[in-house]
Amino acid sequence: MSAPDLQPERTTLLETDGISIRFGGVQALNDVNLRVDEWEIVGIIGPNGAGKTTLFNCITGFYAPTAGRVRYRGQDVTDLPVHKRANLGMGRTFQNVGLVKGSTAGENLKTAQHLEVDYDPLAGIFGSPRTFDVERHTTDRARAILDLMGLAHLEHTRVQGLPYGVLKRLELAAVLATDPDILLLDEPGSGMGPEEAEELGDLLLQLREEFELTIVMIDHHVPLVTRISDYVYCLNFGEVLAEGLPDDVRRHPEVVRAYLGDEATDDSEEVA
Amino acid sequence: MVLAISLSELSRVLVLGIVNGAIYSLIAIGLVLVYKASGVFNFAQGEFGTVAIYGAYAAFSMFHLPYGIGLVVGLAAALAMGLLTERFVIRPLFDAPRVTLLVATAGVALLAIGVEFWRTANNPLRFFDAIVNSPSSLDRVSPFGVAVSDQRLITLAVLAAAAVLLFLFFRSPLGLAVLAASQEPVASELVGVSVRRISTITWGLAALLGGAAGLLYAGGAQFSPGLITGAVLIPGFTAAIVGGITSLPGAAAGGILVGVLQALGSLSTFESIKGASFVSVFVVLLVVLLVRPQGLFASRS
Amino acid sequence: MAVQDRDSDEDRTEVLTLDELIATTTDPEPAPAEPSGPTPGGWVARVAVGLVLAWAVLCYPTNVLSPFTVGGVEANAVSEAVIFAVIGLSLNVLIGYVGTISLGHQAFVGIGAFTSAYVVTEMGQEFFIAALVASLVGAAQAALLGAVSLRVTGLYFGLITLSYGIMTQESIFQIESLTGGTAGQAAPRPLGFESDFRYYYLCLLVLALVVFIDWRLMATKGGRALLALRENPRVAATWGINVKAYTVLAFAVSGLFAGLGGALLAHRDLNVVANPFDFRLALVFIMMTVIGGLRNRAGVVAGAAFFALLRNGELLELLRVADVFAKPPISLTAEVMPLVLGPVLLLLTITLFPGGFGQLTSTVGRWLRGGPFRFVKADKEVQITDVRA
Repeated sequence: MSAPDLQPERTTLLETDGISIRFGGVQALNDVNLRVDEWEIVGIIGPNGAGKTTLFNCITGFYAPTAGRVRYRGQDVTDLPVHKRANLGMGRTFQNVGLVKGSTAGENLKTAQHLEVDYDPLAGIFGSPRTFDVERHTTDRARAILDLMGLAHLEHTRVQGLPYGVLKRLELAAVLATDPDILLLDEPGSGMGPEEAEELGDLLLQLREEFELTIVMIDHHVPLVTRISDYVYCLNFGEVLAEGLPDDVRRHPEVVRAYLGDEATDDSEEVA
Repeated sequence: MVLAISLSELSRVLVLGIVNGAIYSLIAIGLVLVYKASGVFNFAQGEFGTVAIYGAYAAFSMFHLPYGIGLVVGLAAALAMGLLTERFVIRPLFDAPRVTLLVATAGVALLAIGVEFWRTANNPLRFFDAIVNSPSSLDRVSPFGVAVSDQRLITLAVLAAAAVLLFLFFRSPLGLAVLAASQEPVASELVGVSVRRISTITWGLAALLGGAAGLLYAGGAQFSPGLITGAVLIPGFTAAIVGGITSLPGAAAGGILVGVLQALGSLSTFESIKGASFVSVFVVLLVVLLVRPQGLFASRS
Repeated sequence: MAVQDRDSDEDRTEVLTLDELIATTTDPEPAPAEPSGPTPGGWVARVAVGLVLAWAVLCYPTNVLSPFTVGGVEANAVSEAVIFAVIGLSLNVLIGYVGTISLGHQAFVGIGAFTSAYVVTEMGQEFFIAALVASLVGAAQAALLGAVSLRVTGLYFGLITLSYGIMTQESIFQIESLTGGTAGQAAPRPLGFESDFRYYYLCLLVLALVVFIDWRLMATKGGRALLALRENPRVAATWGINVKAYTVLAFAVSGLFAGLGGALLAHRDLNVVANPFDFRLALVFIMMTVIGGLRNRAGVVAGAAFFALLRNGELLELLRVADVFAKPPISLTAEVMPLVLGPVLLLLTITLFPGGFGQLTSTVGRWLRGGPFRFVKADKEVQITDVRA
């Protein structure tokens, strides 16, 4: 599927303006400017320790940057707590899978719909008829999303102990249940071989179409990122090393140099 | 507040505070050792002391052993309790959340107290002889014109000896291994340090320290089940926290500090505040926990 | 997510909203047919056992439909079991659902007791108002501690709760005007419930109410949020859960139940004194909740009731074994028995049988509902875990 043209009328969904963050003596991010337009797929690559997850943490609100702002749909969200940003439409996955392992898949999906469930906790306690309806709807929705991801059979299975690939898909299902506008995926392809990564790419493209999503993904599978992204940033040592169209970034001499000697799973790396 | 405290009262109270503080230090050092080794606050630390007392008492009264031997028996009893706890409670829960371990150590303490009640049900209050009991020795040395009994002097001496021994210990290969294991268990295991053995040794040390604290505290006084846990454990905890839960010298200093603060609370000026000496310890604990949880002496922030 | 036009692509799949997607999804497969249920004989057995259990709880302690005669004192002892069950459920919210520890829970209960007594005696209100006030006061204290827990976590927070409990004992409970000094504060029973037997039913009603609230809380989004934030607060936040608010809410609920339990205790004894509300009581509460099995309502109720009955000697009386243990050389009197048995059970639960009493109640409960009688294996260890630390 060809990348949509970057039309000037397209709104900027997410942007970071000069994000810098310092931990003790280490400058983890330095003046990172990122822009993600609606319905884009933006890839973020870079060697380990480049600050990619740190950037996500700043965007989603787990870290407070020492300088710079984060803007979502034009609104400055830098001071908003994590759960409020989720409310605005930010969805995020984690490197070590972000699920409630002690609960079943179905329960996870229901919990993830927290923002959608619109009765307040007190009404829930006293069990008005409306809460029962809403609960039923929540359960149905959980099932539907599980079904969509091919995981319906796991509805009543406890998450702990499921295979890694299944967990990643489940995590994706859960974040979809939050009804996000933008997905920030942290290494969705980790642990995958080339074929699986290809399927993941197809899935992400399909999800973008079906749910009108904007996707920002960190990954080490450079072919995957290159194939599906509309725009790519390469980070190194907390700074944007290069940015642009995927092929341009991949061939950028600095980028190639940054990856030499790294354990990136890319084996079709282009040399200029 | 009228600060009409006589110098003699103040110095008497201070000396008392320092001596009590020495006992708190012994407990606090034991707490820090266990925290470094197992990552848990050992609620049973006080009972190591009480068990030592009961062990020694049984040696005196049931087997009529000499005082010195009795003390050794008491220490042995505490050591046994420490090792058993480590083997049957701590080790199986190696991977458990730390708060679960806390509850488990509380269970050990409760069990010890329960057994103490069980075996002394007909007569819970007993008297424990002081180390040196002759009347003339009761008021020997006088710093600042304050009479200090031999028992108290010996307490201070024991603390000093323990401090020196521990200092030397942690310079020794074994001691260094203990420190390494507490900071990096996996790496230590890889270079051949047996984390299990370290755990055993640490708990044994902590038990001995607790036992010594108990025997010193009870000298010349009445004792009942759960004595050390009731009277010494909380100040000991406060001392450990104040000193920085990972700092051994901090624990020692914290103990003296807490002892002095508590003693100050017993000054006649504070008589009207109910339970002032008790409450003062808690206020310190709360303040430290809320303001500077890493303790006063820790270097890392 | 509204459907929108996009000219740039030629062949595009239809964009659906999620709700439309649900409508088009086929109905989920019905659960695979269970192996055939119990035989008629099996059902008869279940009903019989169920009836016996119901009779033991509802009738035996109050001499209703009972061939055995039970005195008033015994009914009072069983009331204590019910009240401890309420307190156990309260502590379960903190230890089981939130994953923190409360070493000062006796303070919530004690303050609830004194508040209720005070409201009735000094302010002349009805018991039900007093109980409500006691619950709210409990909730407020607990919410305050909950706010503190946001800053100080894990083991350190445990020490703070410990301090809170003991400081309450040393300071608030010493205030004579509130607590009536050594004589204590009078706490008369509400009209219509003066007899020990009727008071027992009142306690049962309150327990039923607390169980209901707990059930509804955990079955809805609040409960799911709590379980999520206990195990994985970062993910919970990304799912839109306000971790701080829910933590404080959970503390408030815990305090609510504890205050209510305190009120019931006060009026059961007809007089409240400060003495029993010490640190040892906090440990008793923790023991009975952990032994009951965390996050398992029936287990906690059973564990708390067991412990209360053991403690006041009633259990040994019922089983007619009190004398057996009290004779030398065992010399384990009824007073000392809980001091030894309690910690032993606690240690066994933590190290070997993490489900505690809950394993038993789950097994029996499943059987009663028509399932097989198979011992429910506890699949996770006793998880008191404050991951926010």
